Amino acid sequence: MKSLRPALDRLLAFTIGLLLAVMVGNVLWQVFTRFALSRPSSFTEEAARFLMIWVGLLGAAYAAGQKAHLAFDLLTTRFEGARKRMSELFIHTTILFFALAVLVGGGGRLVWIQLSLGQQSAALQLKLGYVYLALPVAGVFIALYSVITLLELIRRQPGPAQNLTDLNT
Amino acid sequence: MNEALILAAVFAILLFAGVPIAFAIGLSALAGLIVSLDVTSASTVIAQRMATGLDSFALLAIPFFILSGQMMNRGGIARRLIDLAKVVVGRLPGGLAYVNVLANMLFGSISGSAVASAAAIGGFMGPLMRREGYDRDYSAAVNISSATTGLLIPPSNVMVVYSLASGGVSIAALFIAGYLPGLLLGLALMAVAGVIAKRRGYAGGLRVGANEAVRIFFASIPSLLLIGIVMGGIILGWFTPTEASAIAVAYTFLLAVVVYREIKWSELPRLFTDAAATTAIVLLLVGTSMGMSWVMSSANIPQTISEALLTPTQNKILLFLLINLLLLVVGTFMDMTPAVLIFTPIFLPVVMKFGMDPIHFGVVLIFNLCIGLCTPPVGSILFVGCGVAETTIARVWRHLLPFFITMLVVLGIVTYWPAVSLALPRALGF
Repeated sequence: MKSLRPALDRLLAFTIGLLLAVMVGNVLWQVFTRFALSRPSSFTEEAARFLMIWVGLLGAAYAAGQKAHLAFDLLTTRFEGARKRMSELFIHTTILFFALAVLVGGGGRLVWIQLSLGQQSAALQLKLGYVYLALPVAGVFIALYSVITLLELIRRQPGPAQNLTDLNT
Repeated sequence: MNEALILAAVFAILLFAGVPIAFAIGLSALAGLIVSLDVTSASTVIAQRMATGLDSFALLAIPFFILSGQMMNRGGIARRLIDLAKVVVGRLPGGLAYVNVLANMLFGSISGSAVASAAAIGGFMGPLMRREGYDRDYSAAVNISSATTGLLIPPSNVMVVYSLASGGVSIAALFIAGYLPGLLLGLALMAVAGVIAKRRGYAGGLRVGANEAVRIFFASIPSLLLIGIVMGGIILGWFTPTEASAIAVAYTFLLAVVVYREIKWSELPRLFTDAAATTAIVLLLVGTSMGMSWVMSSANIPQTISEALLTPTQNKILLFLLINLLLLVVGTFMDMTPAVLIFTPIFLPVVMKFGMDPIHFGVVLIFNLCIGLCTPPVGSILFVGCGVAETTIARVWRHLLPFFITMLVVLGIVTYWPAVSLALPRALGF
């Protein structure tokens, strides 16, 4: 269990970094084909959107593992000792519930519906079910991180510290 | 109406309990839906809204601008812009305060992030200003307040988020609309910073020799060219904001890694992972907010709130004042990205009823929340600005007050004089 967290971190960090690099190359290729070859590539925009869904959701799982999702922590930072532990147990149980109910449950059902309808994307002819697979996959990762964090809390082992800044602004 | 109450109650409880906002939004949407649907269908609806919410080419601009911003921050581009600002305004009395404001505006006009700007510019300017005898807390206050100009001056990540939350207001139009308000704010902050610096007798006259000035100017051209490529390309319609942002990545990569060599190749994987993670935090918020706004509109919540707002007043001036006050309060305790995602679908229909253009409202909304970014209890620019200046919020607070008043005055002008935001995009045909 102790080595699971760093292993997940490494796997996700590598995957989202690589996917982002592919996204940049993909959009640059789109600009290049439009200007230099004056025959715009047909698949790049769709590929970029699908990559974005995967980066967004796998990255959300990575950020959950780093405890980097923005939270309103004014009240909870004042807690200490047993109250702090209770509050963190509540927070991570809530995240676990969301991951299992919405991402794994709802997302899994969405994938199943799309695959059984056999819908395909316009340009890449990709089954949309595979695009939406990012939801349950990210859900499993977030759930794993929540379980690890809950176990750390119960065994009173230190996990990563919270790390919140809205770097988008 | 039951849905609305349950949604609001669950959101408030989870928010104050410290559950990350993206999860609080998703779960409150789920709770609101369960009133009329079974759990399985409700979760599937939320999951589907999340997936379709993320399925947007426009959103790609966010990771790309974050990535190029990080490379600028570390890759020697910030320093060259500061040097340029020194040449332009350094000789005036209290010159370093002007340099700080102008450098933040220049950085803001090539990057989409004010936090990156506060960190990069504050990191360079703070020690310099202290060496020249400027008070540490005054310098931090100048840096913190002027970093916000970067969110108004394009490119701006938060405008991409607003475009999405508003249901597709043109990003290019929003970008162009931000120029005048951003410049106006920058000039007003410079004026106030100058008056204070003069009264305190801070040294001016940072003289730069003619040869040196020419060298600095040429050294800054590659960085300035980025403004031309990104914004010029968008304004002339050569490429979409997303394509422009990818070009910005390629260009800053060339400058920072290949030409200036201030970022090592071995650091790149970390940069990409960090940019992807920062983006993902925004994207999860976008996804779950799309779920929540769907539940809100199916429960008629925006209409209910707009009626509640219209009950005390039908007067346009008072209504805008009321909305500004609400947004200022929201901004003090909520980060900008979630605030834009949550409050755009609620307030935009109200102000549009009163003839406010969605582009104009976008600027007003972001301006309000900019002020919130510099105020405690929650303000990322305030935190970062105090961090790089190695001071505390309690000490900077007093020095920030005159700048707050300035920001509020400019906010009033931007709110009640639509042309400040709309003249440029209209003139360019948006």
